[in-house]
Amino acid sequence: MQNSILLLFLVLAGLSALVFSFVYFSSKKASVEGQGLSNPLRKRFWFLLILFVVLGIFASVTIPKSPYFLFADETPARVIHVSAMQFAFLMSDKAIDSKTPAGESSIELPANQLIEFRVTSLDVNHGFAIYDQSNNLIAQTQAMPGYVNRLRWKFKEPGNYNILCLEYCGMAHQVMRATLTVK
Amino acid sequence: MESIKLRKITSLWIITVLALFVANIVLGIIMRLNQGEIIHEQPATFYAHMTTHGLTQIGIWFVAGMAGINYLMERYLKTSYLANVLAMIFTVIGILMLWISTYIGNFHAGWTFLYPLPLKVMWAKWGTPLFLSSILVMGIGWLIWAVSLMTQILKKYPLPKALAWQHFRKNPAIQTPPFILISMITLIGIIACLLGAVLLLAMYAAEYFSNGNFVNDALLMKNLTYFFGHTIANEMLYLGLAIIYELFPEVGGRPKWKTTWYVALAWNCTLVFILTAFFHHLYMDFVQPVGFQIVGQIASYMASLPAASVTIFSVWVAVYRTPIKWSLTNLLFFIGVAGWVIGGLGAVIDVTISNNFILHNTLWVPAHFHTYNALGNVLFSLAFFHWFSIQFSPKSNFEKLTKLKLTLLLIGGIGFLLAFYIGGAESIPRRYSNYPAEFPMAAPLAIAAAVFATIYLVAILIFFFQISKRCLNILFSPSSY
Repeated sequence: MQNSILLLFLVLAGLSALVFSFVYFSSKKASVEGQGLSNPLRKRFWFLLILFVVLGIFASVTIPKSPYFLFADETPARVIHVSAMQFAFLMSDKAIDSKTPAGESSIELPANQLIEFRVTSLDVNHGFAIYDQSNNLIAQTQAMPGYVNRLRWKFKEPGNYNILCLEYCGMAHQVMRATLTVK
Repeated sequence: MESIKLRKITSLWIITVLALFVANIVLGIIMRLNQGEIIHEQPATFYAHMTTHGLTQIGIWFVAGMAGINYLMERYLKTSYLANVLAMIFTVIGILMLWISTYIGNFHAGWTFLYPLPLKVMWAKWGTPLFLSSILVMGIGWLIWAVSLMTQILKKYPLPKALAWQHFRKNPAIQTPPFILISMITLIGIIACLLGAVLLLAMYAAEYFSNGNFVNDALLMKNLTYFFGHTIANEMLYLGLAIIYELFPEVGGRPKWKTTWYVALAWNCTLVFILTAFFHHLYMDFVQPVGFQIVGQIASYMASLPAASVTIFSVWVAVYRTPIKWSLTNLLFFIGVAGWVIGGLGAVIDVTISNNFILHNTLWVPAHFHTYNALGNVLFSLAFFHWFSIQFSPKSNFEKLTKLKLTLLLIGGIGFLLAFYIGGAESIPRRYSNYPAEFPMAAPLAIAAAVFATIYLVAILIFFFQISKRCLNILFSPSSY
């Protein structure tokens, strides 16, 4: 998915660079009586309309795919409570008491079943980002003190999944991590 | 016509901005070298660099834009020299406080200082109040400056005229220059986000001095942080656009651009969109009301429409098959607009919620904002700096080394940015002092980025020496040419 996004960006960026280069070189070649662009107002209108339609289509296709609506109508098979803290993730099937926080030493989850992660923080903001076995980021939410973010996800492939913190949380942010096993 | 005092303070702004920019690029290169494992710093030192780099960069390019519009505004109305000087004093003091808090106090909560990280002290205890006070000091200076400029505009153009509403009717009796319209729209946004910062800092102070009796709401604080942070980072781009509207046709020897109904409409819409687009920073906070998230995506998309249809199209129309007098100034403007567009494309991809789900806080984020800054906004300001510095200098070859400077800027800039984009596509996290072993491409990409950033730095150093030399002459000459 990320590679498709990069490709889309590179194509769009390349096209933009071509248009700017074309416009620049047209000016270099223009004669003193250069007429410029004919009917610019009309062309501007079409340019705007096309952009508006493209972005409208893009929005209407992508908004329903937002993570807030993922598996919204289904009942989770498992609920995992996650409490992030500097610089570790506590995870448990049971709710984690903020006064005596403790998590389970390992978490095993079933493949192809809906899991709901209830993610909060015991101190500062953290990120709860799930990486697949190819180290691609596949899903994430934030861990925020005083709030619980519910992330619903179905793991398709069995294996080990890394959890990394993706919100800067202090000097050991880069080593804050955990692992999930999907069977 | 502007006074000699204004020329001198503008020169001082330019020298200050360029000197700090050079130092800031060096910080950036040090960070990428550390990530590339070429040098080895303590993580806390890396994050102190990161905090300093981020806030200094926002500060200098904001004041660069403000100094530019202040100088050009004297073509239309009298501005306050005192407000300009006060802003300079507050900015310099604020930057000094920031650097002391990060390098002596070792404060390293990031320039976005996301609540409640600054209050979880992992540095000198005085680091947090000094860092927050540095923002307050800079904010007060900038607020005085922005309010002063707005007041002066309103003295000449009543609000509806300053916002060019008369252009919605046919044949308006009074013309509002596009420069005044864009400046006014931008100043409203700036004042709004600075007031947001004041509220944010007041809430920090309330908790800091409450001895644990008062705790802020993390979601509200995050909204306020990004209302300030996102908005000011975008408004500084619009300051650059106001300068383009004023100078691009002039430098190219073309007729001045005029405000029309669609220019007025586009910029009025931009004001609304830019003040609501910040919601996209909270997409991954699922407890934020979903309505705000969708507003964030739509406002972020819509913010690109007026900009694209008016500014970019106007630049194309002004250039296409038109015999422009090309010089370093308008080449920098033209390339800067292209960089802004390409960075904007990266941003539109990232503000799409379903993409943000897998891009948020990866290297894709610094990729797109460095694009529209390093190859967009910086170029707008460099164009103004160059244009300003040659106005009052004895005639010489001002276009010297133009090809070399632009080539180095482009090669260095594009290479440096590509490393970020590829890193984002590889899901490499941002803001990591060292990369985990599972990202084998992260360190080589960081080294490549450091090499290309050094090439970019060489170009900036040439600009720095050439422009600063001329600005120092303006600063220390009893009269100007």
